[in-house]
Amino acid sequence: MRALKLLSAAAIGIAIYAPAFAAGYPEKPVTVIVPFPAGGASDTTARMTTQKMQESLGQPVVVENKPGANGSLGAGQVAKAKPDGYTLLVGSIGVYAINPVLYKSLPYDPIKDFDLLTVAVRTPNVLVANPNFPANNVKELVEYLKKNPEKVTFASSGAGSSDHLTAALFWQKTGTTGVHVPYKGGAPAITDLIGGHADVSFQNLGAVSNHIKAGKLKLLAVTADKRNPAFPDAPTMEEAGIEGVEVYSWQAVAAPKGLPADVKGKLEKSLTAALNSPDVKGKFSDIGFEVVASTSGQFSEFLSQEISRWKTVVEAGKITADQ
Amino acid sequence: METISNLWLGLETALTFWNLAYCMIGVLLGTAIGVLPGLGPTATIAMLLPVTFGLPPVSALIMLAGIYYGAQYGGSTTAILVNLPGESSSVVTALDGYQMARQGKAGRALATAAIGSFFAGTVATVLLAVFAPPLADLALQFGPAEYFSLMVLGLIASVVLAHGSLLHAFGMIILGLILGLVGTDVNSGTVRYTFGFAEVSDGINFVIVAMGVFGLGEIIGNLENESTRTIMSKTVTGLMPTREDVKRLAAPVLRGTVLGSMLGILPGGGAMLASFAAYTLEKKVSKHPEQFGNGAIEGVAGPESANNAGAQTSFIPMLTLGIPSNPVMALMIGAMIMQGIQPGPSVMTEQPVLFWGLIVSMWIGNLFLLVLNLPLIGLWVRMISVPYHFLYPAILVFCAIGVFSLNNATFDVYLMAIFGCLGYIFRKLDCEPAPMLLGFILGPMMEEHLRRAMLIAKGDATVFLNRPISATMLIIALVLLATILAPAVRQKREEAFQEEG
Repeated sequence: MRALKLLSAAAIGIAIYAPAFAAGYPEKPVTVIVPFPAGGASDTTARMTTQKMQESLGQPVVVENKPGANGSLGAGQVAKAKPDGYTLLVGSIGVYAINPVLYKSLPYDPIKDFDLLTVAVRTPNVLVANPNFPANNVKELVEYLKKNPEKVTFASSGAGSSDHLTAALFWQKTGTTGVHVPYKGGAPAITDLIGGHADVSFQNLGAVSNHIKAGKLKLLAVTADKRNPAFPDAPTMEEAGIEGVEVYSWQAVAAPKGLPADVKGKLEKSLTAALNSPDVKGKFSDIGFEVVASTSGQFSEFLSQEISRWKTVVEAGKITADQ
Repeated sequence: METISNLWLGLETALTFWNLAYCMIGVLLGTAIGVLPGLGPTATIAMLLPVTFGLPPVSALIMLAGIYYGAQYGGSTTAILVNLPGESSSVVTALDGYQMARQGKAGRALATAAIGSFFAGTVATVLLAVFAPPLADLALQFGPAEYFSLMVLGLIASVVLAHGSLLHAFGMIILGLILGLVGTDVNSGTVRYTFGFAEVSDGINFVIVAMGVFGLGEIIGNLENESTRTIMSKTVTGLMPTREDVKRLAAPVLRGTVLGSMLGILPGGGAMLASFAAYTLEKKVSKHPEQFGNGAIEGVAGPESANNAGAQTSFIPMLTLGIPSNPVMALMIGAMIMQGIQPGPSVMTEQPVLFWGLIVSMWIGNLFLLVLNLPLIGLWVRMISVPYHFLYPAILVFCAIGVFSLNNATFDVYLMAIFGCLGYIFRKLDCEPAPMLLGFILGPMMEEHLRRAMLIAKGDATVFLNRPISATMLIIALVLLATILAPAVRQKREEAFQEEG
């Protein structure tokens, strides 16, 4: 009986103690919400990073998948969660930068509702084509598009996806047009591209690199600022003569707005350490991801640039995906 | 020769102690979650993904694969015993399997499912080993136009699923199509018929509808007249199929295996169609179509073989092309990526140990399943004799857990409850839910492929007739429709029902 009393007293003590002294953070498992199904890019990023974070935080970090509505369902839940550092979000460029310019009613505002922690990783997109497609480089593609307006099919992983918007950006920068063919995710789009049912597509490098190596897809250009070491022969968009089509797919970590300063500091430190550890870095580079591990300040600045850039593309292309 | 040396390499890999152990854990776990209503392989594999990081890649994939086909196996058990199809592929197994169980033939139905699945699994594994690359290339021939025509064929065939009024069947299919419209339109990104609930903006999950309409509807119906249900369980006859049964099920198993192996290769939901297609085929070629829906053993043997064959061959596009044919395969690709293996055509050449080890392990896993399941049948059959007022709360709880595990959302559980009420109403109105489920599955895919095909063809509808595979399927669909609607056939149908009376 006495032991029980002592125990409950201790429990109450901890309950009162916890919020006042966040310095003890974390005292219980941390939940990381991934607003997409398991197995995707956000999920992979979250799982690889959190495995390492557990070591420095000394508490389990649990990844929970809450898919739905292009990631806005899970992101909305994080926005409403308590800012105590026990709920984090790992989301994509779509969640942070594209949904906000595409949808009128969103259950979160990426700038107002989140404490942005870090851009974890990024991967360049690549412009790939079916091997039988007539154009063999970007210049030939632009000429072909100009001769055949509204003829060439651009497969994408969905209406309003980053590859859809990259295609729109490409048309705007080159003054061409094509037919946008959306799919449910990247995999079926790549399948149809290999099968020759669609002509070209912008895809994440990691998703198509093996198909390029096997000769099932033709690599026309990378949308990065420099050539990729795995494909040194493929020019960047800028080298191919098209400015302003530099697009990365990125994954970033955020928490509900209003984290206590010491919790935020601890999380940032743990995140950077995990992302920069050689084995995590190596695993990411194996799948074509490049570790960014930016500071929260850099993330904020980068996010406002991304939002305003995609806003212009969406408005110029009259792209709508209304809720 | 090369195949044999490859298989030898696979045997060496799969027969190591640890890989055998992981294979066994995988199929055991798979059977368990398959038997539990609602818990599907997708959720289980997603939960177990982190656990596999510590394993060598071959063992990890062997275990995950075991969970997948083990669940296909276990799923039919619940479908037969309590009319709860947890997977889209076991919907048709429930049709005749549950009727058999009601007639006291649960053991025979379960054994039929187990033997059919084993045979199909063996054949499909051989196919996988010998023909994987050329079959994968065939799958690439399927573009949006071909898929659309395949779905049309599937939808027309789904009418055959019904054994009651034709009008009711059509009505239910259309209801399913309408339900399938809920969610985000793939082409425009516009959200349709969600009534402001963001939870359904990706559409309603199949498991929710199936659990609700079949599972909960059945429970409510059974509670209404519990006495009839207890009678049924007392008269269990023979656990093993009789010699006559074996004669009856040999051909359906063969046909189901061929059909399932072919459809399983198609990445765009082909495997899902396999069991439906097999059922339709069996009912069409049977001399006693009137027995279907009333406990025909062919109606269990064909679809069960087809869905297991499809489950095996759906690995072909994943292993040879790096293309996931369903959500489970997408997770397997995720697991490979986490292990530092880039899925794609190079897996076969660069990771022969993984490729062949996995293939051989699938056959061993199938053998495990057979050995594991045949003795278990006696136990399962006794499960139905558990008084229903003990059984149904457990089923309810498992359904709720299973549905929750899909998206970690309580909303889905409420939605299942609504579908449960609907399911009860359907029972009262003599409307069978199976055609509705098929409409629900096929409708959105059909729309997606139709619009994509039209988009790529720049609005030229002749694309469906110009492409040979597509045209062939449309012709078969037309013939099938004619036989359904031909007045003479219809007459026969009605007669058949009156006989059943």
